[in-house]
Amino acid sequence: MAVLECKDLTKHYGSAPALTHVNLTIEPGRIVGLLGPNGSGKTTLIKLANGLLTPSEGEVLVCDMVPGKESHACVSYLPERTCIPTWMSVKQLLDFYGDFYRDFNRKAAEEMLQHLNIRLTQRIKQMSKGNREKVQLIMVMSRAAKLYLLDEPIGGVDPATRDYILSTIITNYNPEAAVIISTHLIADVEKVLDEVIFINQGQVVLQSSVDEIREEKGMSVDALFREVFKC
Amino acid sequence: MLTKLLKHEFRATARIMGPLYLVLLAVALGFNFSARLMDTSNVVLNILAALVILAYVAAIIGVFIVAFILMLQRFYKNLLGDEGYIMFTLPASVHQHVWSKLIVSAVWFIATGVVVILSAFVAAFNVSFLTDLAGIFPKLFQQLNAYYAVNGTAFLMEFMVLMLAACMSFSLQFYAALAVGHSFANHKMAMSVVFFFVFQFVMQMASGILLISLDNGVVQRLLASMDFHFTGVAAMHVAMLGMIVLTVLYGAVFYIVTTITLKKRLNLE
Repeated sequence: MAVLECKDLTKHYGSAPALTHVNLTIEPGRIVGLLGPNGSGKTTLIKLANGLLTPSEGEVLVCDMVPGKESHACVSYLPERTCIPTWMSVKQLLDFYGDFYRDFNRKAAEEMLQHLNIRLTQRIKQMSKGNREKVQLIMVMSRAAKLYLLDEPIGGVDPATRDYILSTIITNYNPEAAVIISTHLIADVEKVLDEVIFINQGQVVLQSSVDEIREEKGMSVDALFREVFKC
Repeated sequence: MLTKLLKHEFRATARIMGPLYLVLLAVALGFNFSARLMDTSNVVLNILAALVILAYVAAIIGVFIVAFILMLQRFYKNLLGDEGYIMFTLPASVHQHVWSKLIVSAVWFIATGVVVILSAFVAAFNVSFLTDLAGIFPKLFQQLNAYYAVNGTAFLMEFMVLMLAACMSFSLQFYAALAVGHSFANHKMAMSVVFFFVFQFVMQMASGILLISLDNGVVQRLLASMDFHFTGVAAMHVAMLGMIVLTVLYGAVFYIVTTITLKKRLNLE
């Protein structure tokens, strides 16, 4: 069963098209890179799968459901910006996630927070931008969801933190789940990916496994990306 | 899911309203002391007392304003701002989100009313001229009940329900304006303000048309043919119930506008 399926998915903002006739299927057990230059439609696609936008045409199915109350229970979503309520303390945030998501593993989250020396009494407001991003990622990865949608998870952090975030993603996801990572920092994520989707100007240009790219084209994903999206 | 949303909504708002109520009660206590001091002829003490009385009035106005701003701010910041990314991806429906916001703001409006009354008791406690003044109300109520039998209590109940419905409809008009305004790509706040006035205008037109149509011959003949025989008191009850129904309808229109906009035209930044 596919965890994410787009059928002829189209979205315009006013008259400007953001996605045009996108067809793709994502199977469980894969870590997929959603790669494309800025403004290519990556965030739009992820927002549609989260029901934060409604399609102009076509449909998107998450675990065979149209995005809504039920599908949200099986998707763990990391938005492109940090948006956890800043007035909360870390402990209140843990309560919040624990109350709303049955699959939230509080113990795992507390261990990761401890590992990063983040105190439970600390308020989100008092944290640095990097720490806020880490806390939000910990909340997202502490769930046993079927689909993880991570929008630019490594965008604003230093290289050491990047490695930590990627290892968190690999070690925390369960093998029956799929992870979609949207980014334009390909070299950093390449080593964790099983599959890539290249997206440009709202259209899927390529969907392929990373091994195929290496074997058939004889180049890294990063090199292929630079070739495909050459300006 | 609604109970969980309510729990977290109360958690987010109580941290602001709770301390504010304590401040109000403290100022009321100050008022009580000052009112006693005012009996003395010391000029400095009298000025000080007058200042505390001013502070008390300002505090009462302040709590109502904060309750109002909090109602607005929780809706646009928590649902239409960055936090919306978290809220709208929770396993909860749009209806549950709107109801949680609505119930919590109504509860705060009512609580604010109750605390203000409570603070008035604190302020008036054992101050001779104020307790005399306060003593009038129970008498007035007794008179009302003596004259109208249970109707005095019934009117009070109807009035309470009307106030609750009015609070909720009032909030919903703001929610609808914010939701529609924020569905645009740019100038979200400005559009919200514009839509608030557009809604106000449309509703006034609609109620105007309703009034005129009541004056229509057919409706009049219909009412005449039904041959009502109301006593004055019964007519008052009918009028109150009518007002409650109209207020609920007014709110329902905005509830529908709000939920449809949040479902179909959500456009988070």
